[in-house]
Amino acid sequence: MLDWLKNINKEYPEFWKIYLSKFEAKSKRYVVLSTETSGLSVEKDVILGIGAFAVVDDCIVIGDSFETYVLQYKFLHENKISNDFIIETHMKKLGEADAIISLIDFIGNATIVGHHVDFDVEIINAALERMDCGRLKNEALDIDIMYRKLHDITDQQFSLEELSGFFKIPVNDRVSSTEDAYNIGLLFLKLKSRLGIK
Amino acid sequence: MNSIAEQIADFLKKYSPFDHLTFQELAEIASNIRVLNLEKNKTLFQINDTLHDSFYIIATGTIHLSVIADAEETLLSKCHEGDIFGLRPFFAKNNYKMTAKAREESIIYAIPIAVFRPFVANNPDVLDVLLENFAKGSNNLTDNENGNGKHHSATGYYSDQQTGIQFFQSLSYNISPIKALKSDPVHSIAQLMAESLVNSAIVCENNIPVGIVTHTDLCSKIATGRFPITTTVDTIMSSPVVTVVENVSLAEAQLLMLRNNVTHLCVTEDGTNKSIVKGVISEHDLIVAQANNPGVLIKEVKRAQAPKDLIQIRKNLADLIQKSIQKNIPLTHINNIVSEINFAILKRAVELSILEIGSPPARFAWLCIGSQARKEQLLLTDQNSILVFEDVTPEKYREVKDYFLNLAKRTTSILEKVGYKLSENGYVGSNILWCKSQTDWLKQYNSWINNPGENSNNLSSIFFDFDIVYGESKIFETLINEVYKNAVNNTLFFDYLGNDALRKNSPLSFFKKFNVEEEGPNKDKFDIKTLALMPLIDGARLFDLSFNLKGINNTYVRFKQLAMTDSKNAEIYLDCAEAFLTLSKFRTLEGIKNENSGQYINLEELSKIDKEKLKNSLAPMKELEELIKSKFKLTQFS
Repeated sequence: MLDWLKNINKEYPEFWKIYLSKFEAKSKRYVVLSTETSGLSVEKDVILGIGAFAVVDDCIVIGDSFETYVLQYKFLHENKISNDFIIETHMKKLGEADAIISLIDFIGNATIVGHHVDFDVEIINAALERMDCGRLKNEALDIDIMYRKLHDITDQQFSLEELSGFFKIPVNDRVSSTEDAYNIGLLFLKLKSRLGIK
Repeated sequence: MNSIAEQIADFLKKYSPFDHLTFQELAEIASNIRVLNLEKNKTLFQINDTLHDSFYIIATGTIHLSVIADAEETLLSKCHEGDIFGLRPFFAKNNYKMTAKAREESIIYAIPIAVFRPFVANNPDVLDVLLENFAKGSNNLTDNENGNGKHHSATGYYSDQQTGIQFFQSLSYNISPIKALKSDPVHSIAQLMAESLVNSAIVCENNIPVGIVTHTDLCSKIATGRFPITTTVDTIMSSPVVTVVENVSLAEAQLLMLRNNVTHLCVTEDGTNKSIVKGVISEHDLIVAQANNPGVLIKEVKRAQAPKDLIQIRKNLADLIQKSIQKNIPLTHINNIVSEINFAILKRAVELSILEIGSPPARFAWLCIGSQARKEQLLLTDQNSILVFEDVTPEKYREVKDYFLNLAKRTTSILEKVGYKLSENGYVGSNILWCKSQTDWLKQYNSWINNPGENSNNLSSIFFDFDIVYGESKIFETLINEVYKNAVNNTLFFDYLGNDALRKNSPLSFFKKFNVEEEGPNKDKFDIKTLALMPLIDGARLFDLSFNLKGINNTYVRFKQLAMTDSKNAEIYLDCAEAFLTLSKFRTLEGIKNENSGQYINLEELSKIDKEKLKNSLAPMKELEELIKSKFKLTQFS
């Protein structure tokens, strides 16, 4: 509870100070985000890939996007997992620290949107902690909760595939975090207008 | 570039004009796209909105483009996946001239003009496609967007005026009329009119019209010497001036001119003579606009050189039907016009086939049967036809039959390309069973009529509605005379037809609910064709044959004729005629909405009033049934 006291004299990395300074103004930008991780444990698992798009004025802006694979040599080595695919792909690759710095820069003060977004936020927070930074300050919206709110469902959770199915959005076989982020973006646009969120 | 941009580039590649660009270029465009989601019935832009900085391509869904004429919304075109629209910002500086609205939930890619413009400049093919796309919708050649800016089309962006008939045709008119003050001398106004080659001037006070001076006024009042040329305008002007709203249709403008006996109408902001002048419509504008009508379509059909020309015409025809129905033009009129054009298309298909394979070795007649012959085909339903060729010597028979089968195959395949599906039951001339010599056909009809019970699998009542499309009318007449001659007092035949007509399920359940489909893809929909239209069509045909009303094929006209012939039951027949029209309209609207044959009505989408209307039009069927039962004393088969 008194976390902030611990950190009060702490010197943050430069990028984090810039990030914090962005929150003086409120943003109209949303960032839909999807992370690919090695598992579901916030402590033990790590981020392997990130895909994100900006949503401005009810449009997904394809150019305003973020996509990277995260090279986790240590993790893969310890768990004896092959990283051939990640190394061979022509997609952008970054080390964890660089990836997080670029991501934080991309997100800025936007509202984060995701599917079961708590987990995405927490695993990014875990990475931030390793870099001696604080926690994300952004507001976050969860499309599953938005959907359940729309239909007054309290006792059930829906997967991204199920939600895409409800709205007849085609799902590709080879799902990457970028494609997930794009689909979340489409779902977000649909839910947003139905719920009347400005 | 990210993987989604790559996917979008792949998508664009499939459609014109993007297929003219390299993948590298597409990737750049795709990276700059914005993705929009439109809820059903949401408007993307509407008339007079300022131009967006993007144009649009549909990723999924349907967008309707429409304009307002006579204070009513008229659909111009439907855009589907891969169609581009909203091109106006490329070519014009003024505001949107149409409304784009989602017919269903749609995902749209917005392509920024600034990003796309360089590709247009560097690639003439792309420009051509865009221009074509824009011009297709653009009013007509006199849409002086780039000209002197003096004319302006009322609706601006009319999809294919060729197909328009005058009831809903838009008008081009002068939007910068000469304005005069009451105190202006006549000669200076006349000078101005002569210089700008127009024949009217509006007299205004603070931009509010108080009168109009036209050629007629100058002729009758100045040239006759009744007033000197130095007199002021207010002495010779006609007042008050007849005013109309913007976006007036051709028909309405014409009516107003006739009613008021004037040659000019003044367009004002709200249509009254108390608001600001927006333009002048002259008689000449009406004449220019009337150059397009369904006759043009028929002419086009006759000139068609290949199936693809016919495809385009059939598309235009579909637009014509849709607009006519939306404008509430009586269905009987639409039917007449459409069946004329339909017949022309069928005929041209036969002609094209003959051009391809050479002249026929014997005389023949190509007859259409079923709905085409009844002139009730508003939607693209399946084709039904038969071929009759004259009798030839036995040694030549084989060769002649081969030729005609070949001819029929080509014809039906052309029609298939145009969009008329082959009949499910194979009732087409290219079927070896329905391509026969005259004698064989006479035998066939005789056996159907005199022994209806036998081989009844082959007897479909649609064979008794037929009309000539192409070829020797003598052959056709011989056939029809034979049918009606044989049918006279043929109890057995009428028994059969009568029972056939009565065999259909009732459209309403015991509790007066619609009997809907219980399973299959059309679950919970109402089969209007089988349950409502067919019984009326069958009934009309049955009475028509029994009263020997040769030469009337149309169900509506048949009922009307029956009301005269069999006057003691006139009321039932007239009710049936009306019911038939109402039901056909329901079906056509459903078909247009879903772009299919309209056979299954989605009751959920009907308003309560429409549902009542539909139910009411089913009522006369019961009486018709009773009439059939009593008249033909149905016993044999029942």
